[in-house]
Parts: sequence; C-alpha cells; structure tokens
Amino acid sequence: MQIIRTIVQIGILTIYYYLGVLIVNITGIFIPASIVGLILLWLSLYFKLLKVEFIRDGATFFLAFLTLFFIPSTIGVVDHPELLSKAGLYLILAVIISTLVTIALTGKWSGWIEKKEAAVKDGEQ
Amino acid sequence: MQALFAIVSTVGLFLIYQKLYAKWSKPYLLPILTTAITLVTVLLVFKIPYATYMQGGQWIHKMLGPAVVALAYPLYNQRKLVFQYKYSIISSLIVAMLSGLISVFLLLKVFKASHAFMLTALPKSLTTPIAMQVSETIGGVVPLSALLVMIAGFTGALLGPTVYKLAKIDTAISRGVSMGSASHGVGVSKLTEYGEKDVSIGSLAMGLSAVLGAFICPLFAMLFLS
Repeated sequence: MQIIRTIVQIGILTIYYYLGVLIVNITGIFIPASIVGLILLWLSLYFKLLKVEFIRDGATFFLAFLTLFFIPSTIGVVDHPELLSKAGLYLILAVIISTLVTIALTGKWSGWIEKKEAAVKDGEQ
Repeated sequence: MQALFAIVSTVGLFLIYQKLYAKWSKPYLLPILTTAITLVTVLLVFKIPYATYMQGGQWIHKMLGPAVVALAYPLYNQRKLVFQYKYSIISSLIVAMLSGLISVFLLLKVFKASHAFMLTALPKSLTTPIAMQVSETIGGVVPLSALLVMIAGFTGALLGPTVYKLAKIDTAISRGVSMGSASHGVGVSKLTEYGEKDVSIGSLAMGLSAVLGAFICPLFAMLFLS
C-alpha cells in the first residue's frame, strides 16, 4: 500500500513539474520549470487546493534521494578539464571569497535587524 | 546493457556511501562527493566517455526536475517560521542574494574570467539541484556550477565559524540565515553544533534563497552579462 501510494504521489509531483514546463514554454519566462512547479505546488498546498497528505510520501521519497538525482550531471566535470587551469583556480578563489563576504554581511545585517525588531517590540509593551 | 550498468552502479554506490555517511557524518563523506569522485575515477581510468555513461545516467537525471518540485513540501511545513521572523529573514535573504552576486561578479571581473565562467558562478550559493537548473537556464556550464556550489558549501562549513567569531555574529537567526543563504545544505549541516533553531532557520533560508535566486540570477545575468 505504502509503495503504491508513494508511486502515485511521485506521479502527482511529476504532473506539477510538467505544468511548470508548460508554463515556461508558453510564456517564455527565464526561470527553471522546476521552480515554477515548486511555486505552483506550494500555492496549491497553501490555498488548500491539494491536501498535504496527497504528496507527503512522494515528497519524502524525492527528498531522501535528492542528492542521487544530480550525480549524473555533476560527474560531467570529466568533460571540463578547464577547472584545473589557472582561470579555474581563480573561479574557485572568487567563490570562496564571495561566500565569506556573503556570510559576514548577511549575518551582521540580520543581527542588526533583529535588535531593531526587539527594540520596537519593547517599545510597544 | 551499458545504460543499465551506469544506473545500477550510480544508485548502488550512492546507497552504500549514504550508509557510510549515516555512520560518520563528516562533510568530506557527503554521498554526492564520494559517489561523484568514485564515478569520475572509474570513467577516467577505464577511458569511458561521459556520453556513454549518460546513456544510463540521463534516466537518473530526469528525476531532478520533479524532485525539485518536492522542495515545496518542507517550505510549506516551515511557513509559520517565516511569518514569525519575516523582517529579519526576508531582508537578510535580499542582502545575501545581492552581496553574493555582486561580490562574485566583481571578483571575476578583476580576475578577467570568461563570460561562460561568470554565468557558471552566479548560482553558486543556491542548493545544488536548483543551482544546476538555474545554470542551465542562464547558459552556464552545469557540472562546473555543481562543483562551485560544493565549494561554496564547504567554505561555509569549514570557515563559517571563524567568520562568526571575527564579525561577532552571535544569534541563532543571524547564523542560520547567513549560512543557509550563502552555503546551503552543506553549511547548514555544520550549524547542528550551535543548536536546533540555527538549523531550522538555516534550512528555511536555504529553501527561500534558492527560490529567490531562481528569479534574481537570470535577471542579474540579463542585466549585466548579456
């Protein structure tokens, strides 16, 4: 029963994905079809058009194996030896620095807003 | 026959490495990393072309789209958390998105990187499945994007705690939101050492920034890289 339910729910999630594909093809918008599907599904759940029970097992299955699905694309690096060139090393360096800058700026900003919010709440009381 | 072998070996290796990771949760034992390294080694040693592997690999890859849709489920479950901290989370996500995109763009300009490399680097802070789909949409080199996403993740997991100390980032929300939006799941897994609230805010920030990034990255590419 569990297995059949999971398979049917994977089907429902796949339908949402193809709805996304359809919308991207019709409108020509510049975002991935899977994200359009994700937003449609979120809205369906939020506005109670779809019960969360109808996708829970399928979603749990997909999320448990999510990493597996992007392995084939990842090992496409074998066709891209340019990452080991000087330009590739600069690319890696840029990503490392940018990530550190992002963590520092975002963390500082968030802490600052949090204090402001707390101060406003204290003022109200 | 080759196709079947590619599928079975990928899934088999992944399941074994997943068990290993469940036992020792070290970042360098992440199943994506160990499975990919093993497969890349096999392809290189036995001189198997990537296209041959993909005869089977494509079937696994086809599941990625529907699997990304499934990310709506945790985002739906976390909806209350968003409304609770809406100002700090939403504004921080925007700060993270802009600082991530602008800094990597400027650095690559300084390093005189190629146009293709710039597009490839833009989605680096998003969670891998979404980063790959964004990279494909904007014309980046998808496998390289996946690798850069891993590097962004490891940077956060290994150096994030040092940044927190130096910059005095000392609340659960600020740690969670900065790690989730800069270093996705790999970075967030490091937050387990701080507390449960850090992790739940972190995974929420990861999901939301990925959705936000799917809109902003293509826009950024259109404005500055076309």
